[in-house]
Amino acid sequence: MSLAGAVSAGPHIFWITSRAAGTAALALSSLAVCAGLLVGARGGALKGMGGDVKALHEALSLATLAAIAVHGAALLGDRYLHPSMFDISVPFTGAYRPFWTGIGIVAGWGIAALGLSYYARTSVGQARWRSLHRFTALFWLLGIGHTLGAGTDAGQPWFLAMLAVPAAPAVVLLLRRLGRGYGKTVSPVSSSTIDIATAGQTSAASRISS
Amino acid sequence: MPPMDDPGLLEAKGLARAKIRAKRRRVRTVRRRTLRGSLVLFAVVWAIVFAQLVSGNDPALSRAPVADRRTVAHKVRPPRTEFAPEAEPEPLEEVAPEPEFAPEPEVEVAPEPEPIVTGAS
Repeated sequence: MSLAGAVSAGPHIFWITSRAAGTAALALSSLAVCAGLLVGARGGALKGMGGDVKALHEALSLATLAAIAVHGAALLGDRYLHPSMFDISVPFTGAYRPFWTGIGIVAGWGIAALGLSYYARTSVGQARWRSLHRFTALFWLLGIGHTLGAGTDAGQPWFLAMLAVPAAPAVVLLLRRLGRGYGKTVSPVSSSTIDIATAGQTSAASRISS
Repeated sequence: MPPMDDPGLLEAKGLARAKIRAKRRRVRTVRRRTLRGSLVLFAVVWAIVFAQLVSGNDPALSRAPVADRRTVAHKVRPPRTEFAPEAEPEPLEEVAPEPEFAPEPEVEVAPEPEPIVTGAS
């Protein structure tokens, strides 16, 4: 390591924070996609652990959203880029690599919308929500594109390792799922059976507690 | 229908309650661990980026080997190092493609020969 180009970190704190949050968001989203695909592929090796994986998927998704928010918000304090709220929230309008940054903004909004729609799934409709939720994987891939296209650390070995380690299993699971056909893994029959079972469990629990 | 105080039914109820409680506890543990893990991940990445920057190996700020990456970014903006020029006095001389950041001796020397030529003719 050479210290010849050493720089005072003070003025770059927001930039460092944004980069760290972006990298964390990428790793967390990859893990969340992984967990989500495992939840979708019920049974098999995960038998009996479905509830835990579902909780993990939800927690990872919320952590991803928080990291994305920090990634964008931290840039507002950066004196070099000095983006406005408009620049970080409206795609393809910023001055810095507008295409790749725009893709990232689209991915961020997409992940937020599809992730948070989980809490409105009863009003959206369970089946419709499920088919919409599958597009999260597409926004995740857009996020990877954004990282490689606009990421400052995109060429760094540690960063590529951090990208590949959680993303590789997610890609494998996604390809397996696509190979099998998205709709076949959780068929309407099986999903309704699960919903009925869950509803039965909930009502039983409420009856017990009352 | 069995009576409500049937010992078998009470036992089943207790078992169901315990199962639900255990499930909730597991979910809470998963959430707490995920939150902790996420914070650790963020802190580790932050430390890596920070160390990279202060040691002069930042891909956007370091001088020598990654100059090509910087030139792409600097089509629109001046170099990011403008905030901390005092930290790196030596490398400035080596950086030729940044005239607006550090007025190099070559930039000043270059126009000098021309007046001499015109003066002679």
